[in-house]
Amino acid sequence: MAGVGFQRWVRTLSKGKISGISGLLPACRSGEILTYFPINIGEIAAAAKKYNIRVEDYKPIADNGEGYGDYPQLPDRSQQDRDPAYQWDHPDLRRNWNEPMHWDFDMFIRNRVDTSPTVVPWSTMCKQLFGFVGFMLFMFYLGDKFPAYQPVGPKQFPYNNLHLERGGSPDVEPEEVKNYEI
Amino acid sequence: MHPTTLMYTSSLLLMFAVLLYPLLVTFTSLPLNNDWASSHAKTAVKSAFLISLAPLSLFLSTGMEAMTSSWTWMVTTTLDITLSFKFDHYSIIFIPIALYVTWSILEFATWYMHSDPLMNRFFKYLLTFLVAMLILVSANNLFQLFIGWEGVGIMSFLLIGWWHGRADANTAALQAVLYNRVGDIGLILGMAWLATNVNSWDIQQMFILSKNLDMTLPLLGLILAATGKSAQFGLHPWLPAAMEGPTPVSALLHSSTMVVAGIFLLIRMSPLMENNQTALTLCLCLGALTTMFTATCALTQNDIKKIVAFSTSSQLGLMMVTIGLNQPQLAFLHICTHAFFKAMLFLCSGSVIHSLNDEQDIRKMGGLHHLAPFTSSCLTVGSLALTGTPFLAGFFSKDAIIEALNTSHVNAWALTLTLIATSFTAIYSLRVIFFVTMGTPRFLPLSPINENNPAVINPLKRLAWGSIFGGLLVMLNINLFKTPVLTMPAELKLAALAVSILGLLTALELATLTSKQFKVTPLRTPHHFSTSLGFVPAIIHRQIPQLSLLLGQKIASQMVDQTWLEKTGPKAIANATTPLASATSNMQQGLIKTYLTLFLMTLVLVTLISAT
Repeated sequence: MAGVGFQRWVRTLSKGKISGISGLLPACRSGEILTYFPINIGEIAAAAKKYNIRVEDYKPIADNGEGYGDYPQLPDRSQQDRDPAYQWDHPDLRRNWNEPMHWDFDMFIRNRVDTSPTVVPWSTMCKQLFGFVGFMLFMFYLGDKFPAYQPVGPKQFPYNNLHLERGGSPDVEPEEVKNYEI
Repeated sequence: MHPTTLMYTSSLLLMFAVLLYPLLVTFTSLPLNNDWASSHAKTAVKSAFLISLAPLSLFLSTGMEAMTSSWTWMVTTTLDITLSFKFDHYSIIFIPIALYVTWSILEFATWYMHSDPLMNRFFKYLLTFLVAMLILVSANNLFQLFIGWEGVGIMSFLLIGWWHGRADANTAALQAVLYNRVGDIGLILGMAWLATNVNSWDIQQMFILSKNLDMTLPLLGLILAATGKSAQFGLHPWLPAAMEGPTPVSALLHSSTMVVAGIFLLIRMSPLMENNQTALTLCLCLGALTTMFTATCALTQNDIKKIVAFSTSSQLGLMMVTIGLNQPQLAFLHICTHAFFKAMLFLCSGSVIHSLNDEQDIRKMGGLHHLAPFTSSCLTVGSLALTGTPFLAGFFSKDAIIEALNTSHVNAWALTLTLIATSFTAIYSLRVIFFVTMGTPRFLPLSPINENNPAVINPLKRLAWGSIFGGLLVMLNINLFKTPVLTMPAELKLAALAVSILGLLTALELATLTSKQFKVTPLRTPHHFSTSLGFVPAIIHRQIPQLSLLLGQKIASQMVDQTWLEKTGPKAIANATTPLASATSNMQQGLIKTYLTLFLMTLVLVTLISAT
């Protein structure tokens, strides 16, 4: 807030006189590059003309001290979203010459973020995907709790479970060990 | 040196030399003659294949394995790296198979890419990829494996984006590189852990020295690497997108060789994984999820190459499941048999695509059974081998895997998912065959469909022989390390066959419904889920890049200055001190008389109190 007031104060003080290297460039001297957030209708019209947009379409980015100046807020649509059949000046970029560029143009090129409409709404997609993954994780947890395996039992040795071979005394009656059931 | 050893190692190194020679020739500024691709590149691969048969036969008859350390690269006090090749049964069996498949694909590519002005460069890229893959497969230390690993990743990027004027191809190439890079984080993490804890990247040394260590962290890194390279669930979207590349690229890289590199890494490192139950369970569950998910996606695709790509992803999931079962050799067997029939499926697709004037949609094909009988027969044989038809190539590996799965102590849900995926395999294979070869043509009769060119037919023939007999040959000649469970109830033995037949019959029923439309089929949620590939590309490829790019832009252009100058710098000081100053000055009301009166009263009070 204080910044805006300060900017206006600077503007009124240095009307037409721009210091530094910006003063050397002809565009700067006429105020084309060094720009501020437009306030009155004259500045809005000048900014719209500069950026090659109609005055009705021109909407500056809100001034929160981030220094966007009078750069227009263009709709957040990617290049992939544009009509592939239209005769663009640059067909691969789907862009016409001297068209205003979105501030995040490099994000919206065809290799990167795509904002084309999806078949299903975003919330449905997220719910289905993360629901699927969550369901799978839960089922894997259950599958770990109740694993699948072939039934195995301890081996049934002959000769009374190898009583003598295991060092049992011949006088002692061996106990009956049966690991199976018929 | 014993003559057998000499012959063994020198024929393998000769094979490398034969493959490198055509590449080195291209580094001179002399122009290549027009048929360099077929006269040099293809011939080199054919010769390399024939040379590699000598060590293969030596290995099969004597069981000989070799390890060659040629040249010391770097030596530090704790780590030394040598140029070291390991020719054990994994690499000795895989190398001839890879060369055989590559030879067939290169011969096919001489026809497929004939109208491309940069065909020689294409073949150079394919040869470079092959050399990188062989380096990966025969590496005896992780550094050399990493060289091969990155090499195949870069060549994949260059080959997917072959038609770089097409934005979709560039996007797909970027996807491949980025997803592989995420996997590489895991590999580098594993390598770093091993270098710091075990002080070696040599495979033999690592196995011995890590006997008593807890290997969970490096194994997780290696599994992440395999997830990226072999397109497991989570890092899988790049594989179907990679179909933007020419069909020979899809056949070589994204079915037979490159995508199995991740599984191959885990097979090489399987002694480290044997005793780590966490890693094995993770492999099993991840593989089962991958195989089911990608098979589901394949069910509703209409692009023939995408169906085969998802089929590849599903089989890679099956290989991961096998590793999770602690059966690396069965996974390796499946890699070998899968190479034959998957490459053949891609070559058949390429033949069909070119014949129909670059039409890839199966809804616009049909009736090729009569118009291209050889191609459709090969397509059918390949699909049957894929589904595990008894005694074709896929049967020996796939059925062994399913049997091992059924008779092991295993996560029940993983078992269920794998069986479901096996039946889905039959469904989408029949879908491809039905739409491509059966019925009447759904395209204009303007393209001259013919099978006259031997450059198409001979590779298909060779791969068909491989798809039919390959499994049997490999199975007869190798010794299995782990005793397979041979006795099981009949239901378990026939489970794979039963689910495949079930899937086949279901698909036949659904396919016949396409010509008899009784009422409008409503679009249901599972159909959207399957067609949109589980919504994974839609969500992940929009959300994550948007967040990171926006944040990057904001940080770079605004937040740094705003933070240092406004939030923590001069403006912040001003904003902090102004309230203090105003509060202090507000406290100074200027009531001098009151202050003096209070001062006097305090003085009087103090004097009175001290006097008493």
